[in-house]
Amino acid sequence: MAMDVEILEDPKHHRYVLNMGPQHPSTHGVLRVLLELEGEYAMELLPVLGYGHRCHEKIAEHKPVKSFMPNTARMDYLGALIYNHGYAQLLERAAGIEVPERVEYIRVITSELNRIQSHLLWYGAYLLDLGAFTPIMYAFDDREHILDILEDVTGSRLTYCYFRVGGVSKDIDDKFVTSTRAFVKRLRSRFPMYEDLVNGNVILQNRLNDVGELTPHTCARYGITGPLLRGTGVAYDMRRAEPYSIYSQFDFEIPTGTKGDCMASFMVRFHELEQSLRIIEQALDGLPEGPIMTPKVPKKLKIPAGDYNSSVEAPRGELSYYLVSDGSDVPYRLKVRTPSYSNLSVVPEMCQGMLLSDVVSAMGALDLVIPEIDR
Amino acid sequence: MDINKLKKQWQDLSTAVEGIDYSVSGHDYNVSLERDKVRDFAALMLEEGFYLVDLMAVHVTPAIEVVYQFAHFEARCRVLARAFVDDNSEMPTISDIYQGANWHERETRDFHGVVFVDHPYLYPLILAEEDVDLKPLLKDEANLKDVDAVRRKPPEPAPEPKPEVKPEVKPEAKPEAAKSQEQS
Repeated sequence: MAMDVEILEDPKHHRYVLNMGPQHPSTHGVLRVLLELEGEYAMELLPVLGYGHRCHEKIAEHKPVKSFMPNTARMDYLGALIYNHGYAQLLERAAGIEVPERVEYIRVITSELNRIQSHLLWYGAYLLDLGAFTPIMYAFDDREHILDILEDVTGSRLTYCYFRVGGVSKDIDDKFVTSTRAFVKRLRSRFPMYEDLVNGNVILQNRLNDVGELTPHTCARYGITGPLLRGTGVAYDMRRAEPYSIYSQFDFEIPTGTKGDCMASFMVRFHELEQSLRIIEQALDGLPEGPIMTPKVPKKLKIPAGDYNSSVEAPRGELSYYLVSDGSDVPYRLKVRTPSYSNLSVVPEMCQGMLLSDVVSAMGALDLVIPEIDR
Repeated sequence: MDINKLKKQWQDLSTAVEGIDYSVSGHDYNVSLERDKVRDFAALMLEEGFYLVDLMAVHVTPAIEVVYQFAHFEARCRVLARAFVDDNSEMPTISDIYQGANWHERETRDFHGVVFVDHPYLYPLILAEEDVDLKPLLKDEANLKDVDAVRRKPPEPAPEPKPEVKPEVKPEAKPEAAKSQEQS
């Protein structure tokens, strides 16, 4: 008997442990997964977290509430403005601060641009994971326009700290409006190309269909939200379910799937691009004049004793800030509920018994941003 | 989801059910639980189709408080449930009911040292193995507050949106205290 056959047939070699990450390219950040494999099948999975823990919640307990804003951008670096939004809303709700109408419009436009940017990066990177190299070039080409637009108004390209309690730091100008309108037109004209190039591709279909199926009940058990949940057919989006800011004024749809597999969440995200464009267009049309900051926001913002929650729809699902205040200007406790945290926790159940290559498909469909999990 | 029926069921399980103004707090209901009813409560919530938003702890006196947040996919109903841990910082696990609680409970064990009884794998998640006894979010004695100090004060007769934060009683009380010290 040849040596290799002897090794393969020895039962003690049937199962082995493969360490994936924390530097593996398909884990998008410092995530480590221990895979117990039998042949090419993953029988047990154990995600190992905490490599990027930066003690954000501990930091929050040591400084005035208002100065935590830059930290929010560093949790989910792809949805920084939406994280800004949730935190600004939390403090405004807690302190009873009204926000000028123009601010709400600016917040919605920039947040939706941020969401498109995040989805485009996921689109390119996910397909790269699946072995398609070209789409990421197209996606980054489009994404670059958003970064330029947002850089002009916020001053940074990734970790924005643009929203303030009661307003935004800088007004948008005509240049912003024209370039955003041009971008909306451009991206919309590119959708048919994306569909031709990628979405109908037979390899993609085979890699995503019936892989990583979820049900609404599984989502409830794990607290999964965002496109993964919508892929199972539940039209649950914080912008509609608990309309914050001025989202209730806009006409947009919530794309849903039916099967809850990777293909469903893939298409949900793809269709969300168009819905975000619709919101941006409507907001640009209705953009009112006015101040960009509430007058009389106290420099030392004291939050009345009690607990407060603020939930917004981040690109990956529901983001919640939960603040416990003792009446001072420093939070007594701040908890950030990040969507990827709950979404990733389903992996040991979802990927059990999968082919290793399907594990990559399924984990890519979660659209993970590890720094928001580790915080 | 029949909210009136549900409220009755909550009342049977809990010591207090309180309706909250969503526009002020971001929650619809606050539920205070005894430790031994936490699992029954979680099972009821899952049966009614709620998902687990978050699970965390707050360090207050008399004991660490574990906070559970639930929401519903179909209608807006944000429920916050609280329970105190016992003298050994123990709390029954709900990770067999809501599997998503598994990681939240491990994280709470890291940060506050709450031991979730019968948890399948209560191993450090966010912190490194060697920091297992660090419990970084426990307050030191100087900063530890009583549970009543972090509760919402009873609402004023006519709750109006306030454009400005009302100054607390404390700053007023301080000069008086200083004065009386000077006088004495």
